[in-house]
Amino acid sequence: MTSSLDDHTPTATAAPAVQARHLVKRYGDLEVLRDVSLEVPEGSVTSIIGASGSGKSTLLRCLNLLERPDQGDLAIADEAIRFDRNPQGDVVGLDRRQLQRLRAKVSMVFQQFNLWPHFSVLGNVTEAPMRVQGLSRRRATEVAEHYLARVGMADKRDAYPAFLSGGQQQRVAIARALAMEPRLLLFDEPTSALDPERVNEVLGVIRGLADEGRTMVLVTHEMAFAREVSDQVVFLDRGVIGVAGTPEEVFDDPRCQRFAAPAA
Amino acid sequence: MNNLSQEGLADWAGPILQGALTTLEIAVLAYAIGLALGLVGASARLSPWAPIRGLATLYSTAVRAVPELLLIILLYYAGSQALTAVTNAMGFSGQVAINGFVTAVGVLAFVQGAYMTEVLRGAILAIPRGQLEAADAFGFSAWARFRRIVVPAMLPNALPGMSNLWLILIKDTALISVIGYSELFFTIQQAAASTRAHFLFYAAAGVIYLAMTLSSTALFARLERYLRRGQPTTEET
Repeated sequence: MTSSLDDHTPTATAAPAVQARHLVKRYGDLEVLRDVSLEVPEGSVTSIIGASGSGKSTLLRCLNLLERPDQGDLAIADEAIRFDRNPQGDVVGLDRRQLQRLRAKVSMVFQQFNLWPHFSVLGNVTEAPMRVQGLSRRRATEVAEHYLARVGMADKRDAYPAFLSGGQQQRVAIARALAMEPRLLLFDEPTSALDPERVNEVLGVIRGLADEGRTMVLVTHEMAFAREVSDQVVFLDRGVIGVAGTPEEVFDDPRCQRFAAPAA
Repeated sequence: MNNLSQEGLADWAGPILQGALTTLEIAVLAYAIGLALGLVGASARLSPWAPIRGLATLYSTAVRAVPELLLIILLYYAGSQALTAVTNAMGFSGQVAINGFVTAVGVLAFVQGAYMTEVLRGAILAIPRGQLEAADAFGFSAWARFRRIVVPAMLPNALPGMSNLWLILIKDTALISVIGYSELFFTIQQAAASTRAHFLFYAAAGVIYLAMTLSSTALFARLERYLRRGQPTTEET
């Protein structure tokens, strides 16, 4: 049973897990993303770095459509969507079914964990597989127990989130994301809300997932960590991609160094 | 009714208890329907669709602005007149009387719904955005999100207001006596008038209302403890 749970080897398609082309996102007159293109191969780790306000969280949130791009093409986990405006000026290109399908295949870990306080740890992890994927309670519990053990939180399964430390909550949130057995994992500054001494326990879990070959995109301020685990680093600067490439290419690039030098 | 002076509390105990039971029935039913109306109303007030929002705002504003006593009388008398006119027009003759119990439950539920709309709306707005965003990010349908995340997350916030509304509702059932329906207050009025032991019976009524509200306050406190089981201490929140 456990081996089937861990079996997330990419299907034999050559298509990348994420292909974003010419994404534009505006809030009113403010253009947060200006023509951003990004490709994430299956089984690879991409880190998005950049200053606050550079649009990195917005870009990440476009990948599960918590933010709706105004323009551009997005192909994620076999769902292809073209965003554009109709003559009335409304953004078009997405129906609700497709949105839910996509989100069931793309899981997100949030900066503030965003666990549901009225569910126990186990309830937090079983909820989405049961409600969204229609798993039975028994099956969802098996899956949840597997991933809770994976993040070292099995012994806290009956605790409520508010009684856990930040690092423990974030590990539960990672188990919750894994329990959907997603094609793509998104991390939105997963350690930024943690006490310094709790950062490593979460980074350790993420490092383990990277070593398993999971497809992940993470927004992070942990430069040394990004350099260590990433196959690709994207340096976002005021809504456009400044530099993208291997960690070495990006961190050694003078355009990025002014920003990332202290850590890299 | 010849020997009024010999009638006492014991003779009226049966009808009074019956009246108290009726009062509870009216209150429980009106509360349940009002809660449902409040959930719909609060969702509508928070709807992205302006006409729905406007309708819900009109409901909660207008109903809360008019005295309940007036609404009860309006619905009972005007309602039966209107129904009579309709049935007469359809070829049936005679008066249509609206059932007092149905009027009582209907009017009180309608009023409760308006207040509940506002209590629940505030409680829903107090849910941290991230919890709802997490439900969205995992692909919850609107209904699953509402039932599994929104309702349980807002209930601890809503409960103090909901318990308030319940207490007010129990007391508001006394207004139903104006249409001559024999709930607790009406029965007490009858008893007091018939025996002329006004103080005794109205005091008894006070004790019965007090017993109802005190016991339900205890129930609400237990419910709140249960709903806040995921929160470290009740004082902190």
